[in-house]
Amino acid sequence: MKQSALIVTPPPHLKLERTVGGAMRDVMLALLPISAVSVYFYHAFALKLISLCVVTALATEYVFRRARGQRVTLSDGSAALTGLFVALLFSPTTPVLTAMLATFLAVGVAKELMGGLGRNRLNPALFGRVAIIFLAPLLPFLNQIPLYWSVDTVTRATPLAKLAQGWDMPSTWELFVAFPGGALSETSPLALLVGAAFLLYRGHIRWHIPVSMLASIFVLTFILGQNPVQHLVTGGIMLGAFFMATDWVTSPITKQGKLIFGFAIGVLVVIFRLFLPPPEGVAFSILIMNAFVPLLERVTRRASFSEPVSAPTTG
Amino acid sequence: MDAGTLREGEGRSFVGGMHIPEYKSLTNDVPIRRMAIPDRVIVPLMQHSGAPCEPLVQVGATVQLGQKIGDSEEFISAPVHATLSGTVVAIERRTHPAGEAVECVVIEGKGEQGEFVPVAKNNPDQMSPEELKDAIKEAGLVGMGGAAFPTYVNINTRQPVDTLILNGAECEPFLTCDHRLMVERADELITGADILMRCIGAKKTFIGIESNKLDAIRILSSKTKAREDMEVVPLAVKYPQGYKSYLIKTITGRDVPRGARSAALGCIVRNVGTTFAVYEAVVHGKPFIERIITVSGPEVPNRGNYIVRLGTPADFILREAGVDPNQLAGNKVIFGGPMTGLAQSDLNVPVVKNTTGVLVLPSELVREQVPYTACVRCGVCVERCPNWLYPHQLSILSEYGMYEEMQQWDIWDCIECGVCAYVCPSQRPIVHFVKRAKTVIDNMS
Repeated sequence: MKQSALIVTPPPHLKLERTVGGAMRDVMLALLPISAVSVYFYHAFALKLISLCVVTALATEYVFRRARGQRVTLSDGSAALTGLFVALLFSPTTPVLTAMLATFLAVGVAKELMGGLGRNRLNPALFGRVAIIFLAPLLPFLNQIPLYWSVDTVTRATPLAKLAQGWDMPSTWELFVAFPGGALSETSPLALLVGAAFLLYRGHIRWHIPVSMLASIFVLTFILGQNPVQHLVTGGIMLGAFFMATDWVTSPITKQGKLIFGFAIGVLVVIFRLFLPPPEGVAFSILIMNAFVPLLERVTRRASFSEPVSAPTTG
Repeated sequence: MDAGTLREGEGRSFVGGMHIPEYKSLTNDVPIRRMAIPDRVIVPLMQHSGAPCEPLVQVGATVQLGQKIGDSEEFISAPVHATLSGTVVAIERRTHPAGEAVECVVIEGKGEQGEFVPVAKNNPDQMSPEELKDAIKEAGLVGMGGAAFPTYVNINTRQPVDTLILNGAECEPFLTCDHRLMVERADELITGADILMRCIGAKKTFIGIESNKLDAIRILSSKTKAREDMEVVPLAVKYPQGYKSYLIKTITGRDVPRGARSAALGCIVRNVGTTFAVYEAVVHGKPFIERIITVSGPEVPNRGNYIVRLGTPADFILREAGVDPNQLAGNKVIFGGPMTGLAQSDLNVPVVKNTTGVLVLPSELVREQVPYTACVRCGVCVERCPNWLYPHQLSILSEYGMYEEMQQWDIWDCIECGVCAYVCPSQRPIVHFVKRAKTVIDNMS
């Protein structure tokens, strides 16, 4: 007697409602506060940029997966999330084609061509953002379709630019709570922290990377005679620490590896900020450390529970 | 820790593992009952780890309950006994709950069963440790918690073993047979522990119990209160607390390196069910012919903890529990617990010596074959692995057939507890990958 309608699969049999798609949705939810603040400051420009990048991301994944005969997995939310991240990395003055190209490079090249979600070595959104820094000067036509027609309401010097030029800065408190200028994600460290708290609470990210990264930035800038708090609340540090450096796929899986990874990113960020010319120091720093993840995991590998500590006891 | 003020969930534990929904309230207050005896039992000649038994009877022979019907010359083996008085109607290969077909003795019998044939009838107080061990060997006892390692082999050690650990963790969800045993048969259990201590020369017995069984902890604590050499250790409710190595580490603090027999650590672990069977074998001369199992599932009408004869087929048990075996489409029937037990496709499979439960789980509760996706390196399997391995790495290497590398990632240390696959957001069948790779590596050498 064979009961063919019985379910027969290997153990374990109990299921936990925990899916990649669910985690991606939670990250998007965690990005809701910062998205809302950016829309508050930049109005339709932020909305347009976000929708443009998300749609481009979805289209790119669809095309790449179909072209390569793979299962289309838009429902896991990974492409949409990458699109949202790319949008948040840009300022509202970004031209249409620039944003689209960055998203295309993020999803198409950094993710799909690397083998798809889980196999990419570099953070896709950051890859797209940084690639544009190099490509934009070579491709002047990218600027031909601006995202907006009226520039006045949105062009402002970013706090970081003001800092560089020795202008009067808004207070650190203002910068922390909400202040317009720069990329969508740079408008409110507070909103990012709210989202980060949610991710920590839901168990999607661990504290190791953000804490070691923020701590190393704080200590180093302090030693170098800077205002550490001002550094922490400006630019992409908060987004980088809690949302980018903690990306599952491109960060170390070991606890010690996470701590070293975060620390090294912090050191690089300070070097970029204080001594090197390019903007987007956080993006560069994280991408550089992404490349070291396999090495970090190798050197921080823990021993098995069954590893003999010393010579086996023979009684 | 004072058993009186202990709260649920408190207790000692190990590094790794996780709490998993318990589902134990379905049966943890249902007293042990004796299930009806079937007209036909299927007794596999291989119900233990080690060498299979040779049949000692032929088709057509009349056998008596408790008569030895299979044995082996090999050291690592355990005899099997008739679990029904009647006639041997077949000796043939039948499906074993572990999956493959093994040689089985099929016995049919009706009516008066009478007393079992005793393996030894002595006053245990006057028996030497050697005589005690012989009784345990003749009774065919094996580890009843899952491993099915012959008890005689386990306790037949010349090395000094100072510590006996009774495993009452019962960390698998749904299962409550050990729980009920500790509550209802505490005195017999303590006598069984005394016998085992004499066999191995142990000076101290620890009884490890997860603190979701507060009544068992209280009863055994009060019964051992006056004794210096017995101690109940409440354990945190965390899977897989009941695995031998983690139990030793949790209770004694001793490391358990790979390959080390627990006797070499001065420590022997026995499941409470096995310890009770030791009591029965030595004090009553009872061979291993029946055991307590948990029959459970959210929709099983007569769920509970039953004494069943070994060899009782699954469909008989299901009918006794009020389940129609023909109405189970879309359900899973599991022998053992839901983390390491095996889903059955053939409901003729019999209860064997290490069957802890028969579970009927509806599709809402269980994993089905879904297309798994790439590892996203979320790291939760690494955080939870009780053996501190890298399950994600093993699963990826297995996908690519990189078995050599899997050995470098300590595949042989994997105990296949299932925690990694349980938490995997990409639904990767990691345990399945590991088992398959172990088989392939074995066949390569």
